[in-house]
Amino acid sequence: MTTISIKSIASLLIISAGLIAVFSVNGCKVSQKVAAKTGVQLWTENCQRCHNTPSAASFSAEQWETIGLHMQSRALLTDEERKKIVEFMKQ
Amino acid sequence: MRIKMNLPKLLLLLLSINSFEQHLQAQQTTVDSSVYDRLADLEKQVAYKKPGEDHFMVVGLATFGFVTNKTTVTSNGTSQISKTNSLADADHYEFSPMLLWRHGEKFLLEFEPSFDGNSLGVNWADISYFAAPGLIIRAGYLVIPFGTYNKRLAAGWIDKLPTDPAGVADLPPGSDFGVEVEGGLPLGNMKWNYDISVTNGMQLLPDGEIQGAGIVDNNENKTVTARLGLLPFSNSSLEIGVSGLYGTVGDDNSSFQGRKSGMFALDANYVKLFNPILLNIKGQYNYIHIDKQNYLNPNDSTSYSFDNNNSSGFAQISIRPAGSHNKLVKNLEAAFRLGNFTTPKNSLWGQKSNLVEAALLYWLNWRTALKFGYLSSKTTSTTLGDQGTYTKSASFFLQFSIEL
Repeated sequence: MTTISIKSIASLLIISAGLIAVFSVNGCKVSQKVAAKTGVQLWTENCQRCHNTPSAASFSAEQWETIGLHMQSRALLTDEERKKIVEFMKQ
Repeated sequence: MRIKMNLPKLLLLLLSINSFEQHLQAQQTTVDSSVYDRLADLEKQVAYKKPGEDHFMVVGLATFGFVTNKTTVTSNGTSQISKTNSLADADHYEFSPMLLWRHGEKFLLEFEPSFDGNSLGVNWADISYFAAPGLIIRAGYLVIPFGTYNKRLAAGWIDKLPTDPAGVADLPPGSDFGVEVEGGLPLGNMKWNYDISVTNGMQLLPDGEIQGAGIVDNNENKTVTARLGLLPFSNSSLEIGVSGLYGTVGDDNSSFQGRKSGMFALDANYVKLFNPILLNIKGQYNYIHIDKQNYLNPNDSTSYSFDNNNSSGFAQISIRPAGSHNKLVKNLEAAFRLGNFTTPKNSLWGQKSNLVEAALLYWLNWRTALKFGYLSSKTTSTTLGDQGTYTKSASFFLQFSIEL
C-alpha cells in the first residue's frame, strides 16, 4: 500500500485553503447564463444530484422554506439557487 | 313644484336605484377581497420571517427489509459454511425521525435521532446560522465534511444500493462535536463550495484502532476537516471534491500523547439525463494514516506494531429510464457498485476486501423505493497470526426505504 505522509495531507489542506482564497477573490460572480436560470431549471439540476426530484405537493409552502435551508446546508446550494427553488416549490 | 309620477315610473326608479346599489356593493366586495388577499399574503410573508412562529417540522426516514446470507470461511484448507436469514437485521435497518426548527430566515436547528436495530443514537444535533450568501456557520454535534457519502448519500432512500459502502461510511466516524463553516458560491458558469470544521477529533485506542471521541475529548488539540468542491459545468451535473483531515488522536498523558492522524478523500458525482436515461455515477476514496506506534495486543498483553493505514473506496453507476412514457419502466432503476476496503496488515483486524453489489429498484414515488439487491464480498485476512484466511460471502436483500 502506498504510504502518504502527514506532510502530504497538510499540503493538500494548504492548497485547498489557497484555492478557497483565490476563488474568494476572483470568483463569486455569476454569469448571465446562470443568473437567468429559473426555479424549475435549478430544481431539476440540483435536487437530482443526490436524490429524485421532489414533488411540490410533498410539503406546504411554509415547510418548503425550512426544507430549503436544510438542503442548502446539505448540498451547499448558493443562496440564489435556494431562493429560486423554494419559490418554485411554493407555487 | 309638484312632481307628477305614476306607479310604473316609480317602480322603474326604485329598481334602478336598487340595481345601482348592488353594483356599488359588488365593487366594494371586489375591493375588500383584493385587500384581504394582499393582507393575507403579507401576513404570510411576515410569518416566514418571524422567529417563534410555527416553523417546526418533522421529517425522517425508515429502512427495513430481509437479508439472506451465505458465508464460507476457508482456513488451512478447511472450509466452514454458515447461513443466515434475517428480518430487519441490525446492519440494514434504520428508523430516523428528523426534527427541524426554523427561526426566521437565519437560524435552523436540526436533530436526527436514529434507531439502528441495536441502539438508539444521534446522527446530528446542531444549530446553523445563515450569516450571509455563501456563509453558513454551524455548531453542535455535526457531520464532519470528509467526502460526501456520510453527509449527502447515506440515507436509505437516497442510497441506490441496500448497504453502505464498506469502510467509506465508517472511517472516519461521521459525526463529532464542533463548529463548522460552509457555503456554496457561484464562479462564472461554474460553482464551488467549501466546508471546514473544527471538532474534538478521534481517539487512538491501545490496540491501534481509532474511534470517534464522542462526548469525552481525549486531548487539548482539535481536529480540522475541510472539503472543497467544484461543479465545473453550468448545469451542475458534475461535482468533484477533495477533503483532508488532520488532528491529534493520542490521549494526553499517555504513551500515545501527540500521535496524529492525517486523512484525505476524493469524491465525484455525475448525474445527467440522456433522454430517456438518467445516468448517475458516484464514487469516493478514503485514505487514513495514523502515526506508527507500539500498540498493546489485548490477547496476550504484548507490544506489537504495524503501519496504521486504512483505505476504502467505491464506484457506482445507476441508470433509470426516467424519460420513458411507460409508468412501470420509468420507475425502475438498476444500480451497480464496486467497493474495496483495506485495513492495516498485521493489526488485529487486518483484511483486504473486494465487494461487488447490484440492485434493481422500483420507485413507488420520488422518496420511496423497493430494492432487490445482491452483495458479494471476498476477504483475505491480513490479521496478525491469521494471515491468509479467506472469506467469501453472498447476500440477497429485499429492502424498503422511505422518507417522509
